[in-house]
Amino acid sequence: MTLWDLQANQIAHVQNFHNALSTTVANRLEEMGFCQGQPIVCLRRSPLKGPLVVQLGDCVYSLEQTIAEQIHLTAA
Amino acid sequence: MQRIILVGKPNSGKSLLFNQLTGLRQKVANFPGVTVELKSGQFDEFELIDFPGTYSLNSLSRDEQIAIEKLNIAVHDEHTSMVVCVLDATRLERSLVFGLQAQRLAEENGKSVVFVLNMIDEVQKHGFEIDVDGLQQALGAPVFALSAKKLIGVAEFKKALPALVKQGKTSHHDIPEAREKVIERARNISKQYGIQADVVLKSQNRIDRFLLHNVLGGVAFLAVMFLLFQSIFTWATPLMDGVEWCITEFAHWLTALIGPGMISDFLNDAVFGGVGAFLVFVPQIMVLTFIIGLLEDSGYLARAALICHKPLSYFGLSGRSFIPYLSGFACAIPGIMAARTIESPRKRLITMMTIPLMSCSARLPVYALLVAVLIPEDATLFGIFDFRGAAFFGLYLFGIIVALIVSLLLNRFTRNQSDEMDMPFILELPSYRVPHWKPLFHRVLNSGKYFIRRAAPVIFIISLCLWVLGYFPQGAGLQGSFLGQIGHIIEPIFEPMGLDWRYGVAIIMSFLAREVFVGALGTLFGMAGADDNIAGLAANIQADGLTLGAGLGLLLFYVVALQCVATVATLRAETGKGSIAWGLMAAYGVLAYIIAVVTFQLVS
Repeated sequence: MTLWDLQANQIAHVQNFHNALSTTVANRLEEMGFCQGQPIVCLRRSPLKGPLVVQLGDCVYSLEQTIAEQIHLTAA
Repeated sequence: MQRIILVGKPNSGKSLLFNQLTGLRQKVANFPGVTVELKSGQFDEFELIDFPGTYSLNSLSRDEQIAIEKLNIAVHDEHTSMVVCVLDATRLERSLVFGLQAQRLAEENGKSVVFVLNMIDEVQKHGFEIDVDGLQQALGAPVFALSAKKLIGVAEFKKALPALVKQGKTSHHDIPEAREKVIERARNISKQYGIQADVVLKSQNRIDRFLLHNVLGGVAFLAVMFLLFQSIFTWATPLMDGVEWCITEFAHWLTALIGPGMISDFLNDAVFGGVGAFLVFVPQIMVLTFIIGLLEDSGYLARAALICHKPLSYFGLSGRSFIPYLSGFACAIPGIMAARTIESPRKRLITMMTIPLMSCSARLPVYALLVAVLIPEDATLFGIFDFRGAAFFGLYLFGIIVALIVSLLLNRFTRNQSDEMDMPFILELPSYRVPHWKPLFHRVLNSGKYFIRRAAPVIFIISLCLWVLGYFPQGAGLQGSFLGQIGHIIEPIFEPMGLDWRYGVAIIMSFLAREVFVGALGTLFGMAGADDNIAGLAANIQADGLTLGAGLGLLLFYVVALQCVATVATLRAETGKGSIAWGLMAAYGVLAYIIAVVTFQLVS
């Protein structure tokens, strides 16, 4: 599944990124903590397919659909 | 002078530390076309430079690229002795990723490194303690645990820093070059010395449950925006009146001193009337900056961007476009400046290009005059709404609709070329914090200074030109002046709008600033002090026979046209391209003209 499929309060682990994701963005995501095996929890889903809010490591991030769909997760 | 560089992740409290270390005097250097802002101040005998907060030394956007280039140059520079790297003690892992990269960069260039573990008060509040000595060992560089806000440990840091700068190399540790290794190391160090993230994030998430709630969050958002609007229009008014009073009094005093004549006319009309009229907006801009700064430093701005992101993305805009738009209702200039926070350069450009369509306060007197001409005072809409009030609302709405349509078109038009380069919307939601007055104070002060520096020279030149054209040949009055003659020559341009040369002259003069329209029309209709007596001027214009179609067209013309040289100057500075700024002025001018002509032809 991708990060966009993560429901509110659901926990999963970061697996990898979609091939289409540019290297610069992928590198930045890694630096932000999106590394393989890291637990990630969805705090909120917004109405109208708005950005979702996740907690990853020591930070809370908000990501829009286009980028969240590029991040693959393994279910916890 | 030896130089110290201050770096760190965004939201690590770097600006506040900078303000605590330096005195009240600071310089801000901007770079055209990008959001990069370098602040410099004096600490002890050293120059301290505050670099923009960055997540990584590997840039994602052009803004970051320039900031990182500047950082590379600064670290390499022989005057630079030390890099102070600010870490957020509550987010050790994230701030160490950049921290270790910066340490490596400094060591490569033979510069000393010192780490500041900021926000130690929050760590203590949650009942944790950080093993600073252990962290120091792990990092191979001195670590100072402090709180820039609560002033814990700041005095000690100030005392120790000069000696460390003079001592030379303070850091000796092999930082791996590979990015993955740096990330891993940051994780390992923070696992050992950092605090439990859940505990700190708990309170933040609790507030978010309310402020991001589907219903309550929306209500809170509207309340905050209402407050912002109130601040622009209500709270800023006494300050604006104060500035106006000071300028008028000073003008009276000075012209009385000089006595009547050309110089006094020049001072009165061009200097105090033109440039002075602009200074009136300075308090409004400062109040606006204050409220936005309050929202940003408290952490709410990120939430507001999150809430607005989806609806605005339909028009190719970002959630962060909302605040700039809202600011644009006061004045396009702070709005354009506020667009700096937008993550994607393309969305930032689209936002900046459409902000001038928000009805700014300089349009208010023009709307007030023309609405008074066209709509009788006691007219109501459906028997309940005041017709004039509804007309005002309609004009604001028309501007917003045009802006969204233009955004949509610009988005379609430019998509293919730079989509690859576009930044995705990833936003860190920072912890809620009580803002500190020091960075806010500097921010407000700088916004006023920046506005004056940008706008004043252009306004002065245009004032001067218009004044010369309107004043000579001497004694002929505005009708017989060069400007009047030009008005007669270009009258055919305004004929399709249903307007005669007098309106043409007033429109040309209002390119200086829109509100000049009222005063200019007053002069042409032979009324002194038209600014204070809009109702009287409206009656005169009515008697003169302005048709409904022409009047309505003129109103819509003022909604769309970019008649503000100061905005053009700001656009040029912020986009780094004169062609965009002047092209936009021409494009909106043509669009406004077409809308006005069509409206006139349709209605009459």
